[in-house]
Formats: sequence, C-alpha cells, structure tokens
Amino acid sequence: MYAAPAGVFVLLLFVVPLLLVGQMSASEWPLLQGSRGINLPDNYAGIADDRLFWPAVGFTLKYTVIVVVVLLVLAMGMALLVQERRRGVGFLRTAYFLPVSLGLASASLLFWGFYSPQIGPIDPILEWLGITDEPIRWIGTPNMALFSSIVLVVWKFAGFFMLILMVGLQSIPNEVYEAARVDGASKVQSFFRITLPLLRPSIALCLIISITGSLLAFDQFFILTNGGPDNSTTTVVMMIYREAFRRFDLGSAAALSVVVLLVLLVINIAQFRYLRRGADD
Amino acid sequence: MRRSTRTRATTAVTAAVLALVMSACGGDDDTGTTGGDGDTSASLAEGVDDGSTITMWTRAATEAQSQRLVDAYNASHENQVELTVIPTDDYLPRVGTAAGAGELPDVLSLDVVFVPQFTTAGAYLDITERIDALPFADDLAQSHIEVGTLDGAKHVVPHTMDLSVLFYNKNLYEQAGLDPEAPPTTLQEFAEHARAVDALGGDVSGTFFGGNCGGCYVFTWWPSIWAAGADVMNEDGTESFLAEPEAQAVYDVWKGLVEDDIVAPGTQDEAGPTWTGVFPEGNIGVMPMPSTTLGLMPDTFETGVAPIPGVDGGESTFVGGDAIGISSNSEIPDAAWNFIAWTLGDEAQVEVVAQNRDVVARTDLASNEYSDQDPRLVTINEVAGVGRTPYSMRFGETFNDPQGPWLPLVRNYVFGDGSTLEQDNEAVDASLQS
Amino acid sequence: MRLQRAIGNTSFWVFGGGLAIMFLVPLIWTAVASVSPHGATAQQDGYGFNNYRTLTEYDAGLLTYLWNSAYVSILTVVFTLGLSLLGGYAFARFRFPGRDALFLLIIAILMVPYATLLVPLWVLLGELGLRNSLFGLALVLTLYQLPFSMFMMRISFEAVPREIEESALVDGCGTFGVLRRVLVFAVWPGMITVGLFAFLHAWNDFIAPLFMINDSSRYPLSLAIATLRQQTMGAVDFGATQAGVVIMALPCLLLFVLLQRHYVRGFMSGALKG
Repeated sequence: MYAAPAGVFVLLLFVVPLLLVGQMSASEWPLLQGSRGINLPDNYAGIADDRLFWPAVGFTLKYTVIVVVVLLVLAMGMALLVQERRRGVGFLRTAYFLPVSLGLASASLLFWGFYSPQIGPIDPILEWLGITDEPIRWIGTPNMALFSSIVLVVWKFAGFFMLILMVGLQSIPNEVYEAARVDGASKVQSFFRITLPLLRPSIALCLIISITGSLLAFDQFFILTNGGPDNSTTTVVMMIYREAFRRFDLGSAAALSVVVLLVLLVINIAQFRYLRRGADD
Repeated sequence: MRRSTRTRATTAVTAAVLALVMSACGGDDDTGTTGGDGDTSASLAEGVDDGSTITMWTRAATEAQSQRLVDAYNASHENQVELTVIPTDDYLPRVGTAAGAGELPDVLSLDVVFVPQFTTAGAYLDITERIDALPFADDLAQSHIEVGTLDGAKHVVPHTMDLSVLFYNKNLYEQAGLDPEAPPTTLQEFAEHARAVDALGGDVSGTFFGGNCGGCYVFTWWPSIWAAGADVMNEDGTESFLAEPEAQAVYDVWKGLVEDDIVAPGTQDEAGPTWTGVFPEGNIGVMPMPSTTLGLMPDTFETGVAPIPGVDGGESTFVGGDAIGISSNSEIPDAAWNFIAWTLGDEAQVEVVAQNRDVVARTDLASNEYSDQDPRLVTINEVAGVGRTPYSMRFGETFNDPQGPWLPLVRNYVFGDGSTLEQDNEAVDASLQS
Repeated sequence: MRLQRAIGNTSFWVFGGGLAIMFLVPLIWTAVASVSPHGATAQQDGYGFNNYRTLTEYDAGLLTYLWNSAYVSILTVVFTLGLSLLGGYAFARFRFPGRDALFLLIIAILMVPYATLLVPLWVLLGELGLRNSLFGLALVLTLYQLPFSMFMMRISFEAVPREIEESALVDGCGTFGVLRRVLVFAVWPGMITVGLFAFLHAWNDFIAPLFMINDSSRYPLSLAIATLRQQTMGAVDFGATQAGVVIMALPCLLLFVLLQRHYVRGFMSGALKG
C-alpha cells in the first residue's frame, strides 16, 4: 500500500490536531488557562454577533474573486508565452518565477518597504517626473489597500501558477495539436477545444490552491495593511487570529475555523467533482 | 498483516488524543506558592545562587536591555540565565500558548499592559513577600507593580522602563526662532511650536504621530489627559472616559494640527512599525517619543527632551515597557528570584541600566553618575514618578489591536468629523466589559 | 508571412519583456535599498553593507542560522518527496478503499488556517517529545506541503501513459520495480517542482519555528531575521528588513536558477510526453 505512509502521517499530524480543534470549538477554552469545559453552542452562536464578522466575510469574498481571476488569467498567459521554444524564453521564465522563491512574509515585507512613504521608490520617481507632489497613499484608503495587496499577491504567486500550468501544458502530447492542425483548427480554436479541457487537472489544482489560499489570506494583510485602514482589509483569518491571540479565546477561534473549514470543504468538493470529471475515466 | 497495522495505528492515535486532551487540560493547576517554608528574610530577598540554569523569554523589542542584564548577571553568578528572544509581533501567541500548556520559562518578561491577563490566568507566582523583603522595596517604581497586583498580591516588578516624553529638534527650534532651551509646557504651546517649525517649509514638518496605530495614541496622547488630572478609564478598567471633555480637548489640539497640515506626510497611514523612525531623520520639530529611543538619536542634530504636558499645563507620562516575574511553571523560583532581585539592585540599575541611558526602575537612583552627565535623563527619570500605567483586563484587544474599537474612535475624531464619538465610545466600553 | 512573424515576435517581446521588467523591479529595488544610506538604519552614509553586518553579527551568528535552515529544509524536502512519490503513485494507479476520502483529507490540510492548527500541533509534538527539535519542525512543515505535493505527483503519474509500465510489468517487474526503474524518471519534472516548493516553503516559513523552537541557537534564519527586524522599541529597521529579504531570497533564487536546467531538460525532452 503506497498510500499508507501518507495516511499514517496525515492521521497523526492532521486528524488528531483537528479533533482537538473540534473539542476546543465546543468548549470554553481561554488560551492562557486551557479547557474550562463544554459550552456548546456558545462559541458558534457568538460568531455572527461579532461586529467584525460580516464585513470580514464580505471583504474576503471580494478579495478572493478578484485575486483568483487576475491570477489565473495572467498565469495562463504567461504559461502559454514561456512554453514556446524561442530564444529568451528561459529569461522570461526565470523573471516570472523569481518572486515565487520569496516567502509570503518576505514578499509582504518587501512591498511594505516598497509602498512606504519613507523609502518607497515610486513617489520620488513620480515627483521627479513632475506627475505628483503628494505621496501616493498606497495603503491609506480602503481601495488602495486592496489594490496594493492584490499587486503583491499577483506578483508573488503568478509564477507559481504559471509553473503548474506549464507542467500541464507539457504533458499534452504534441500529436493532439498536430492532428488538430491537420483538421484545420486555428490556434485559438485548439486552445479552447484541446488545451483547456486537457488542462483540467492542472487548472483544478490552481483553482483549489488559489481559492483556498485567498479565502484564508492572512500574512499579506497582517504585515502590509494590518487589516486597515479602518478594518477595511480585515479578513476572516485575521479575525481568527484576533480571537486566539489578541483576545486569548481559543474556543471562539476554533469555532470560526471549523466553520471556515466546512465552507471550504463544500466549495472544494464541488470544484473537484466538476473539474475532475473525465480525468478518472 | 494489514489489519494488525491498522489496529496498532488506531490505538496509537487514540492514546495520542487522550494525552492531548489531558495535557491541554492540565494547564491551569497552581504550582508553587510564595517563597519557601522557613526562609529567612535574607534569602527571601535574594533567592539562591546555586548554579541553576534559569530560562527566560523576552520580546525582541527589549532584547538589548535584557541581554545586557543577563550578560552581567551570568558573568558574576553561579546561576546562568538562558535568554530566548521572540519576535515582537508574535510574542503573545507564543507566550499565550506556552502559558495554556503550563510550559512557561522560569522568568517571563511581558509588555506591561498585558500583565493583568496573565496574572489573572495564574501565569505568574505571587512574589509579594519577596518584593517586600527587598531593602529598597519602597523605592521601586510602582506603576508596573500596581498593574501586576491582584487581590493585594504582587506578581511582577519593572524590567525595562519605556516612558513617553516629548523629543524636540533644537536645531529646527533655533531656525524657527524658538528658544531651544524652552520646550513647551502646555499642549497648546506644543502646537504653537509645531506650527512655528512647520513654517520653515521644505521637507520640515511640525510634528508626527502614529495615525493608524492604537498603541501609539495610547502611549503619546493619554499622558496629556492625565496631566489635566483626568482619567482614561475607571479603576477596574471596565469603563471608558475617552469621550469626556478632557479627552476631547486633547484630541482637538491634535486635530487642529492635522487640519492645518502641520503633521508630516504619512501620518494618517502610519500603522506603528516606523513611527519612531521619522523624528531621527531630522525633519520633525517636536513630537512625543519613547524614552528608550534616546540612545538611538543621531548626532546630526541636537535632541531636547521634555515631559508631555496637558492642554493647559501639568505633565505626565505613560510608563510602558516590560515587567518581569517568576512564572508559575518554574521549578526553581528561588534561583529565578535571585536573578530578578539582582536586576533591581544598585549595581545593575546604575552600571547596566543607567549607563546605557535607560530609565532606572528605582526612584532613589533617578539621579546617578550617568544621568548627571546628561540632564535629559534626569528629566525622564523624574517624570517616571508622576507617570501612569493604565489597568484593564481587556487592554490589548481594545486599545493595541488594530481591529479593536479604540482606533476607529480616535481616527474618526481626528481625521473625520467626530460625530460618532459617543457611539465609538460605547464600542470601547463593550470591549472593556466583554 | 515574414511580416506576421515579425509582428508576433515584437508583441512577444513587448508583452513578455514588459511583464518581466515589472516582476523584476521590486526585487532589484530591495537589493538596492538594502545597501542604500538611510537614517535610523545601520547604513547611515553612502552605499555599503552595514545592514548585512548587523545581520551576520546577530546573536548566534549567521552560519548557525543558515545551517539550521538548510537542515530543516532538506529534511522537509526528503519527507515530502518520500510521502508524495509513493502517495501520488497510489492515487494515480490503484483503486483502494478510502482513496477519495484520504485524498480529500490531504487536500483539507490546506483549508485549516495555520494559526488554528498550530496550537494543537504544538501540544501534540510536545507529547511525542519532538518539540524544540528541528526534526519535529520538519514534520510540521511537511504537513503543510503535503496537499500541493500529493496533487502534483498524482497529476504527474496520471500524465504518464499506462503502456510504459505495462510493458515493464510484462517484463517481470513488480509495481515497486516499475516505480523505481521506470516511473521515477517519467515524473522527474513533477518531483523537482514538489521538492523545490517544499524547500522554498520550509526555508521561508517562520510561524512554525516560532511555535516549535525554544532555543535561540536552533532558530532557522527566517525566525532569526524576524527577531532581529523588530529589535528597537516599537520600530522596524528598514535597512535590516530589506537586507533580511535579500539574504532569505538569495539561496532560493540560486536554487531555482540551478534547477532550471533540469526543468528545461525535463520539459523539452519529447520522450517524456510518451
């Protein structure tokens, strides 16, 4: 049984901790003191009462939709661009991929400096060109904060998704394209009729990772915007973090995590069903 | 074969789950009480130096101060302190988790505003008798100790003192025609000075503050409220007075500076990480700063220091920094106390703390051979006596946390029209009482 | 026809090149910023490497942290590759009870916020005696790498035509023999991708070590830099921050550039496409 090592590993390091999360979510569990006994369903009932909850849900969804679309379209374009055999393709591929090798925290710190009024390079350039004389408030308004975060995330992850799609593209046999060309299909036609359907598993992987990752967005906002200005970029996971480590209420944090996990499971099972249809035949 | 493996795995997992649940529940048992039985008052005051290894955690923000004390102690004692430094932003998650599982180090240093939560949770040993046995017990700066007192039992002593004081740029004062030896004595005067410096134009701005940083407002603005004799919260820290007229008067002065653009660019968006990095650039006239940064000021201009005044006079300061105590998980409280008591002694306070221009934790040492060389240090040490450390069980999540309700209150007032003050204050009350 | 190709070439370079510049600018900027003079950093006057000096002289020393990071990262790569190679093979080629459930369970690892799972993991590793050890840390890092790796290896195996193994099976190889002698070479690009990401993740993560490691001398570089960055009271050192970003990034960039040859070989050799 080749899956056994992974199975045991996941059971021990994931299922067991997850059970504890479940127990926490049903208990009064201050971080500093440990369990105080079952209080079901208080932790769950309290979620929707939090003044931060619905705005956080709304923002997280909005962010996810924008990021996933921008990221995947861009990554697909990049993958098509760099899978061609041309001179200089290696350079492009390297350039696109380099940001991926930074950690998300490192990348957030980089952009935090990049956007900062103290050392950021863009304001001086714009001022020098005479375009503005006021510093741009990169993270000062809700819309700019969202925009700046998206730039960061796209910059950091586009290369990653490009690579997954590229691996997928390379696994499509050339003969298929040749057959299509013989049948007189144009490039665009063969992209939509051949490439996209055959890329399903890779696209599924991209979607699962990008949707799940965006819905759980934390580091970039924690470092770059701190959830601000005025809570406009507070995500659901920032709320979980606040419950656990600012309010020291592990019970509420766990309850919120369980809800998030269930929602993500439903979304992903649906995606999975849809996108792997045909792959298992 | 396959079945037996699976059974064994199931058993192991079940055991692990049980162990988890039990250990996670074991965090709140009370280990240790005050002192040891039959200790003489001398060993109560000094603890023991028997070659123990003492573990200690501190946040990166106060690493330099802690490391100096630890090095000096290790060099002269049998006991050895092992210091672990943890990134500042991640200190609470780390320490909170360890506290919940009963795995704190022997000595725990903590940002003083979080101390009430940890004492209430039983993370610190009651050290009332040990503190009282110190020969200089009455001279210790009281604000940290008071915040760590629960039902009359003391749990912590001051470790690193960080006070808010006004820093002003004497060179810019001169250029603006102000007397560099006459810092502001009222908040109104502070605003006038800032306006005068701002009029110099160019890259120069009158003042600066962390406009998107709850902890910065608390640290730099509250002293002006205290200076007027008012309070920010009730004694229990469950009711906010931050919409009272005295508080509004303070906001109004600052709001005037914002409206007239006397503040440096980026003020409104400064979330905290760099708020102390702007003054050293040399383009800010006068602003409240943490006293611990005095040693970091560049020599390209002369920095003056003054207490933070109230709107019409008076002075006060926020006594922040780290408090320190013996964790309830320590198995060697006497050795741990030996280190803590030593850090408060004359030698450590003068030769380590004062020598590095830090604020001493004892009022009787406010004037010492090092502060005598730099009158600014005397100013800082003296204002410590009138300063305060606010107490609330919900302090961090209400005031420091960017998602807390205090930040919207003050931002709506200063950068908005202030019409939501009452409503915002209710949210603060709700958070304090939750 | 030639005109068309010229236009194609030009637009390729305008789009591709412009995009490449946009991707490179932040990286170049951070490298420049880390050696530029700035008040309130170690680099006060003129260009120079004082910010890096701060880093190398910090506490236990850069070499210790580099070693810790390298050790943890390599261990994570080994664990991840081992589990996902076998697991991916199983998921792609065999039907066994609980297959879909197990796969979903593995993907579900992605769906639990890091912050939530760390507290229980911390307790669990304590019970297993693996807390404050780099080995235990590598296990935790592997866990979070598993969903991506498993999916990737599954896709890689599925892309290999069955005829290849069938002929090998006929030749008398067992399923493990097929994996070892034939399939490993066919899924090579997938393995490099998985290994590379396991490395990058382990190298860069500082939340897991923050929880799992107690001794400063066992800190990986990521955690040491996070600590160093926030040293002065209430302030972040711009210079040390950007220098930290560069030091963290350099080994990763280097690794990628070195491995790229393998990618190109893997991708371009037509044999793999079957």
